Amino acid sequence: MKQSVRRIGLVAGREFLAAVTNKGFIVGLLMMPAIMALLIVVFPRVLNRNAPSIRGEVAVIDQTGQVAGALRSALAPEAITARRRESATRALQNTPAVVRDAATSPAAMERAVGLPPQLTIVERPASADLQHEKQWLTDPVAADGLRHLALIVVQPDAVVAATGRTRYGSYDLFVPENIDDRIETELYDAIRESLVAARIRAHNLNREQVEAVMSVRRATSVTVAVGAERQTNLAFNRALPFVFAGLLVFGVLIGGQTLLTQTVEEKSNRVIEVLLSAVSPIELMAGKILGQMAVSMLVLAIYIGIGLFTLLSFAMIGLLDPLLIVYLVLFFLISYLLFAAVFSAVGAAVNEMREAQSLMTPVMLVLMAPWMFATVIGREPNSTFAIALSFIPPVNTIAMMIRLGSATPPPTWQVLASMVVGLAAACGVTWFAAKVFKVGLLMHGKAPDMATLMRWAKQA
Amino acid sequence: MQPALELKNVRKTFGPTVAVEGMNLVVPRGALCGVIGPNGAGKTTCIRMIMSILFPDSGELSVLGRRSALEAKDRIGYLPEERGVYRKMKVGAFLIYMAQLKGLAADDAASRVPRLLQEVGLPGVEGKRCEDLSKGMLQRVQFLSAIIHQPDLLILDEPFSGQDPVSVRILRDHILKENRRGATVLLSTHVMANAEEMCQHVVMIHQGRKVLDEAMSGLRRQFDPRTIHFEPLDANANPASLSRVSGVERVDSMDGTYRIALLAGTDPASVMARLAAAVAPARIELARLRLEDVFVRIVAEGSYSEAASQALRASVTAAGPEGALA
Repeated sequence: MKQSVRRIGLVAGREFLAAVTNKGFIVGLLMMPAIMALLIVVFPRVLNRNAPSIRGEVAVIDQTGQVAGALRSALAPEAITARRRESATRALQNTPAVVRDAATSPAAMERAVGLPPQLTIVERPASADLQHEKQWLTDPVAADGLRHLALIVVQPDAVVAATGRTRYGSYDLFVPENIDDRIETELYDAIRESLVAARIRAHNLNREQVEAVMSVRRATSVTVAVGAERQTNLAFNRALPFVFAGLLVFGVLIGGQTLLTQTVEEKSNRVIEVLLSAVSPIELMAGKILGQMAVSMLVLAIYIGIGLFTLLSFAMIGLLDPLLIVYLVLFFLISYLLFAAVFSAVGAAVNEMREAQSLMTPVMLVLMAPWMFATVIGREPNSTFAIALSFIPPVNTIAMMIRLGSATPPPTWQVLASMVVGLAAACGVTWFAAKVFKVGLLMHGKAPDMATLMRWAKQA
Repeated sequence: MQPALELKNVRKTFGPTVAVEGMNLVVPRGALCGVIGPNGAGKTTCIRMIMSILFPDSGELSVLGRRSALEAKDRIGYLPEERGVYRKMKVGAFLIYMAQLKGLAADDAASRVPRLLQEVGLPGVEGKRCEDLSKGMLQRVQFLSAIIHQPDLLILDEPFSGQDPVSVRILRDHILKENRRGATVLLSTHVMANAEEMCQHVVMIHQGRKVLDEAMSGLRRQFDPRTIHFEPLDANANPASLSRVSGVERVDSMDGTYRIALLAGTDPASVMARLAAAVAPARIELARLRLEDVFVRIVAEGSYSEAASQALRASVTAAGPEGALA
């Protein structure tokens, strides 16, 4: 027994070292943080810097005679920049102080706002022919290079409501094909601003007063838990279930894939029989599974570490319940055990990676299935569907992790019951896989199908 | 003392194929025993059963006094026919790993590696990756992985297959050295010339059954070939004068030399003297016992045909030049 444990330890140690000293592993480990950094830091810079300022003409048919002037100033480049700056500031109000400070620095603001479009307003008489003006939009670009970007028709009752009615008229907006949606947003905002300004003027109202009356600052909600209050962060709450499910699947895949390729390699380069003279198949399988588990745990620890460090540096660490990390590790271990057993059995059964693919497809589908339901479970973590899924192995672990990460986590008894169910399934699968592993190791030749695997399990 | 290895009426089938049938075998401690037979005779199946990698359908096994090799793993050295290494692993690390699996302490194993590599003509390769070694070098490393823990029982399945003459010589010397150290050696080969030169005892397997189990010394007596190889000094000598020598049964000529068969009961030494007197010899010698001949004679007994014996002969000599002992 003592010797057996020692041998399992030796195999596990070799597996772990072979995996973590592999160049591919180190590259893979750095890949994810690198891609994220690329998406968050580099990409927006490159995108904004290269976005050219749009130049073009906007035609206006002002049937009230009171809007065109205001519209001209609302579409001036300075006005557009001011509006963009204001909306960016508003969007940042809900983010933590550190993010806000970084994002509202002059340089960051400059990047977020970008270059404003250069729009020329062309006024048309109120009696202009609409059909003719619409055609103007589809005209080829004129020699001066200015595109015809939009036609705005302000309705006659847009500033002063028609007699006997309380509702104001509005405007019609015509645009050519392939217009940048940012320009359209810009137009909506500018028209709204100038119409409101014209109406306030027409009714002799005090603009400041009206704005003050309309303004209500949006508060950040505070989550009240037993014995503690913390600021709610909607984005964080929404992302958390996905992050947990992702880490779980990712951890299983890292260890499982290596386990599969290593076993196939050992079998195909015939080192297996040399090993079997020193260790029993079960010791070998146990050692391999434990070794790769250590690799997966290392990767998870690094990613969780990065995550915690990020939360800490944004002063958001209080948002995370530490118990969740304990649950993540436990559920990871259960899923890993189950899938690793399958991966190693498949590795032992086939002769080369190509043959492994067909056997792996259903396994991968099962592993990925909860992803498809992640949104559904995340939104309604206590629906019958979500509860049922948390007790069906092997997806129960992932479903449970999504629920745990959600805003309304499941009761503890469900979590524990799900663990027991998962563990029982893992033991059952390992028992079956061990039999296949034992027989498969020395089998060369035709790639086995499911029926052959069942026969092997019976035989062993 | 119990024998190192004992098989009693062992039988193993794979589906409808009977791989080994009624196998009885006793290998005493300290013996150097060769298991010979053509490819597919059941040698590897026997060895895998001895190693508890496969399990017999019926019959009993004892290895180093234990019921199964699993209970004596650390005292057995095994070189399988299908052998490989971890390609990315360094030679030294691989040997230390294997030794550790066999129960050696890491530092003890590490101290043995450089000396052993030196002995098999591979000094200083411990830092190289296995994939950087040639096939012959790798096979020597694999052999070391089987003996690094100084086993009491050394089981070698086709140790010479695919080896170059230099490797074969080094391997043979080390197998003999392990045997002198006290290890019981069981080696299988389909090239009978290999077994002829080094084994004290041979076991022949054909179609899953044991057909011979004899000490080499006994075989030499039992299967005395009664054949003399004669090469005349003068290529134009008259062979008729050879066949007239008393005690000679028949003379066959084959490219300049003669195979001279003797009558039963004649003393080869006196016939050789008479032959040399009749025709001046360039070379005259008593034919060595060839296991190949023994095998063909045993197997073909009863149903002897020229074609069948040719095919059998081919199956036990088809190793090519590199398979033969240097």
